[in-house]
Amino acid sequence: MLPVLSGLGLYLFKGMAYRLRVSLALAVSVVVSLLAWLLILVGGEEAAEVIRFAPNLTILLRLDESGRFFTGIISALWPFTMLYACSYMKHEKHVRSFFSFFLMAYGASLGISMAGNLFTMYCFYELLTLTTAPLVMQPMTKEAWRATQLYLLLSLGGAAFAFAAMAFLLANGASGPFTMGGVLSGIPGSTTVARLFWLFGFLGFGVKAAIFPLHVWLPRASVAPTPVTALLHAVAVVKAGAFAVVRLTYYCFGTELLAGAWPQTTALIITAFTILFGSVLAVRETHFKRRLAYSTVSNLSYILFGAMLMTGAGLSAAFIHMAAHACIKITLFFCAGAVLHQTGLEKTTELDGLGKKLPVTFACFTVASLSLIGIPPFSGFISKWYLLTACAEGGVLGWIGAAILLVSAFLTAVYLLTIVRRAWFPSKTPVSELSAVHEADAAMLVPIGALALCSLLLGIVTSPIINAAQAVAAGM
Amino acid sequence: MLIALVLFPMIAAAVCAFIGKNTKLRNAAAILAAAVEFALAILIASKPDLTFSLPGVAGCGLMLETDGFRRVYLVVIAFLWLMTMLFSPEYFAHYKHTTRYFFFNLLTLGATMGVFLAGDLFTALVFFEIMSFTSYTWVLQEETPGAIRAANTYLAIAVIGGLAALMGIYLLQHIFGTTEISALAMQSENRKALYAAGGCVLVGFGAKAGMFPLHIWLPKAHPAAPAPASALLSGLLTKSGIFGVLVLSCRLFADDPAWGRLILILGVITMLLGAVLALLSVDLKRTLACSSVSQIGFILTGIGTMVLLGHENALAARGTLLHMVNHSLFKLVLFTCAGVVVMNLHRLNLNEIRGFGRKKPLLAAVFLIGALGIGGFPGLSGYVSKTLLHEGIVELAEHGGAAVRAVEWLFLVSGGMTVAYMTKLFSALFIEKNADNERQAAFEAKKHYMAPLSAAALVLSAAVIPALGLLPHLTMDRIADAGTDFFRAGELEHSVHYFAWSNLRGGLISIVIGFTLYFGLVRTLLMKKENGRKVYVDRLPAWLDLEELVYRPLLIKLLPAVLSAAASLFGENKLTAFAAKAVFRGAQGVTRAVFDEEVFTAPAAKAVFRGVQGVTRAVFDEEVFTAPAAKTVFRGTEIASHAFSDLTDGLVYIIRRLFFRERDYTPLDGMKATLPYRAGRLIDRAAIRRGREKPGERSHAVRSYQKARSLRGTMRGITGSLSFALLMLVLAISIVFIYLMLIR
Repeated sequence: MLPVLSGLGLYLFKGMAYRLRVSLALAVSVVVSLLAWLLILVGGEEAAEVIRFAPNLTILLRLDESGRFFTGIISALWPFTMLYACSYMKHEKHVRSFFSFFLMAYGASLGISMAGNLFTMYCFYELLTLTTAPLVMQPMTKEAWRATQLYLLLSLGGAAFAFAAMAFLLANGASGPFTMGGVLSGIPGSTTVARLFWLFGFLGFGVKAAIFPLHVWLPRASVAPTPVTALLHAVAVVKAGAFAVVRLTYYCFGTELLAGAWPQTTALIITAFTILFGSVLAVRETHFKRRLAYSTVSNLSYILFGAMLMTGAGLSAAFIHMAAHACIKITLFFCAGAVLHQTGLEKTTELDGLGKKLPVTFACFTVASLSLIGIPPFSGFISKWYLLTACAEGGVLGWIGAAILLVSAFLTAVYLLTIVRRAWFPSKTPVSELSAVHEADAAMLVPIGALALCSLLLGIVTSPIINAAQAVAAGM
Repeated sequence: MLIALVLFPMIAAAVCAFIGKNTKLRNAAAILAAAVEFALAILIASKPDLTFSLPGVAGCGLMLETDGFRRVYLVVIAFLWLMTMLFSPEYFAHYKHTTRYFFFNLLTLGATMGVFLAGDLFTALVFFEIMSFTSYTWVLQEETPGAIRAANTYLAIAVIGGLAALMGIYLLQHIFGTTEISALAMQSENRKALYAAGGCVLVGFGAKAGMFPLHIWLPKAHPAAPAPASALLSGLLTKSGIFGVLVLSCRLFADDPAWGRLILILGVITMLLGAVLALLSVDLKRTLACSSVSQIGFILTGIGTMVLLGHENALAARGTLLHMVNHSLFKLVLFTCAGVVVMNLHRLNLNEIRGFGRKKPLLAAVFLIGALGIGGFPGLSGYVSKTLLHEGIVELAEHGGAAVRAVEWLFLVSGGMTVAYMTKLFSALFIEKNADNERQAAFEAKKHYMAPLSAAALVLSAAVIPALGLLPHLTMDRIADAGTDFFRAGELEHSVHYFAWSNLRGGLISIVIGFTLYFGLVRTLLMKKENGRKVYVDRLPAWLDLEELVYRPLLIKLLPAVLSAAASLFGENKLTAFAAKAVFRGAQGVTRAVFDEEVFTAPAAKAVFRGVQGVTRAVFDEEVFTAPAAKTVFRGTEIASHAFSDLTDGLVYIIRRLFFRERDYTPLDGMKATLPYRAGRLIDRAAIRRGREKPGERSHAVRSYQKARSLRGTMRGITGSLSFALLMLVLAISIVFIYLMLIR
């Protein structure tokens, strides 16, 4: 909760100097991250009941294996983004609200990951929507305004459906803390109804996880400043959607109810289609950040596809890809942001020869690209390998999914390597105005470099992350 | 120990990149790194079989091992790398981006070692992919348009091949539960799945080897790369592809005749095609690259024969291994010689470089050794391996029949073509005089054409070939013995008398065919007189290029066409009309069906329906209403609507209809391209066919276009409005209530 409060506090002080504000925000996020990691490493599974509204409505915070994993991802990446934002936002307006809401969003994401029951998660989920909406609106252009509008509407509408699923669970007395295998004991009435409500929940949380056709908000939201698109729309918000789906599926309804039934088939078909769809649109898109956003659409469905296989292997593959993709996509967005910040170019067709001007940025971009395509020894390869292995156990749809994963990997190669090639080996002479372009400052380069290195290291030293992900699935 | 072989060059690469500014120091460091690697390789080769595994790394853990075959190849790799590295400082003296070259070169060395050391296919794949991507920069090194194009092809093949290999290896992992090479064996119950997996892996590794029909990148990429890199690409990287094919053929499909036939057929086609292309080429490095394709074909033929022969495959297996080693060595020599030419002349066309080698005895001697070696002249190592391969085919022919006899003759003819194109190169470079007399004089005056270090590299590389060839029993037999385990080769019944007449005969037939072809074909058909002198002409029609003819159109035209068709169908703009339809039909479609203008004309009903939407439009979508008059009206209604929403909604709607009624469309440019318009056109045409009168201004085409537009506008209005969120909220809550009230 600390970030939310300090974010509010930061908002109240109006006349604060930029440097002070930034360093405070940075300090808070670092402290919170350290605390979070401390909790992850030493904390047990004790629950902390914060508020009790009614006997079955409590705000409960608890860290279990999957919460620990997600908390780890969020708290590892947030300080980096904060550092990046310090430099990126220097010349932007509305800095006060930006840093406040940015911190509050951190609190909300942590809340989702640490939530001990569905009600708590739902509350934080709505809070996340509300705190991130002003961030999308940041540029205050008409485009941003419309994007925010769409984002809010879809998210709230989706949350309403998720609410339906939650109401169903509460009505059936399943209000307890998350337990692997589901809290639903003995379903009254027909299973079809329960499955239907799960599907509502899936689609509702799926809005944030950008499943087709509810993904429309994501590419539009790329008008937001890069730290926001990077962290919120590649990591926190969208992953929160995926994480919520996992919680709902594995910890509330339970896979026993769903595996092998029509809702699973529906979910698998939707996500498999989204994988392909996102990649195809990414290839078609020429706007740099929007291309990455479509790539996110596709990759989120990798995660959901893995999770929807409803096997232990699928779940751990989903978590591995969650970590790998978070690290990769944030690097890619940071690079896109650095290019935008330093040159003002935002079309992929204008990047000729930039590799020579921004060598570090594009070196990291290349590393992240190769990783996302799934080239060994980068982290994307590992997650893809585990996803494929999980697919092999998933029957016919699993095999179709495996084929789609590979086709999508090829498309990923097309839409990322064209950028890489253009930047390093220009096919036309670069625009002369670029002669004054130089690298971004250290506050931007350090996160980029560190995270690119991370995606390499995660690909080589894989055992910690794989063990953690398998621990998540161990309870099944 | 084994991992050092992989990691050391990679660390050295980083060091080289770090000291990149100081070129002399960097060159020395790179050479030193290659020399240390060579020493390491020798050290490891002198030890018995080693295994090394690194669990938990890179996902599934890495596993490295050595056996006889790997030991041989380790040394070959390290040797080739050292030689090219010795040659590099002078070659790259006037190049840009040389640090980049050295960096990626050493990275590739580590990765190539990794491929050949791999104990399981997963490890092989990991290093194979690293190798593909780091060597991509070699092809790009010069950054000319041609190099960029070649590199694109290389990259495309690497990506597609890598994905195919990944798919195949993943299938194998699924079938066997492991990808360890020693665990792969034929299972009769999984035959089809195994063929699918094997096919995928074959595509992946075969593409790297340059196997037909995936050889297309090779004749372009090799000439585009700098000469030392070409030597490595051709001598070693193609072999890493062969390594993958070998794993399949010696383990998984060891006794599978169908697989053997497939490899044999592909091998023969590759062998012939490469040779023909090489014969037709008039570019020094392109000839050598095509020759690589052809020699890979020889090796594949050997593998095919080996699989088909089953347990009596000793001859073919030994021939295959020896030819791999030999080809690596020949291509090292030949490409470095080509490098000397490029270094001095920066040209490769045979007519332009003709006569360069005259009065340069050292270069001539070295090139001659390479040429004679690859041509299979007795006394040099190529003869030994070709003889073994030939003997293998002869053995197969004993129980094979006419088809195998044909293979034998094709083998000999390809060997002949090898002799012919090498003669062509040698005679052009070292015997004939340039058409331009001044240039010839300049060539001959040039005494200092390479540095001592490069010369040493050349001589050392060339010296190995006769050393192996003259004493085959001492040297080559031992190499072949080392490979027995890996190849699962049978016992050799009796040692081969390489210089007995029966064995010499095959080699001589090839040589005779070669000279006949040279004088009968090359000197007549492939040359023409110009200004009284004969010049080489490229008789290969430019359009006859598998890449330009098939692959590029397929990938660049057809695929995007399909994709963009799919994308435009599902594209974001049409999404509201397409996908939204699927999901929100329940909410929207029903309402619309009830309140549709055509169905329901009462203004009041329309007003109710448009009510919520109208308000939100007024609130949110200011820019929709551009006319200033409308704006003021809306401002007014907007304020009013907050107070009397239900009342004013109708007003808003009516005003909207009044001011913004859609007029008849005049055909616009964009209109004709839309799907509804086209669909309408079809209906129009059908109507005309059926004898109706010609549709006028309000044709189906225009009308359906208008319909689609208004539908899309409504959809946009709905999805972009608060009413939509409210609608969803209400829907969700009512679902809850219905559930609570009725079902529970």
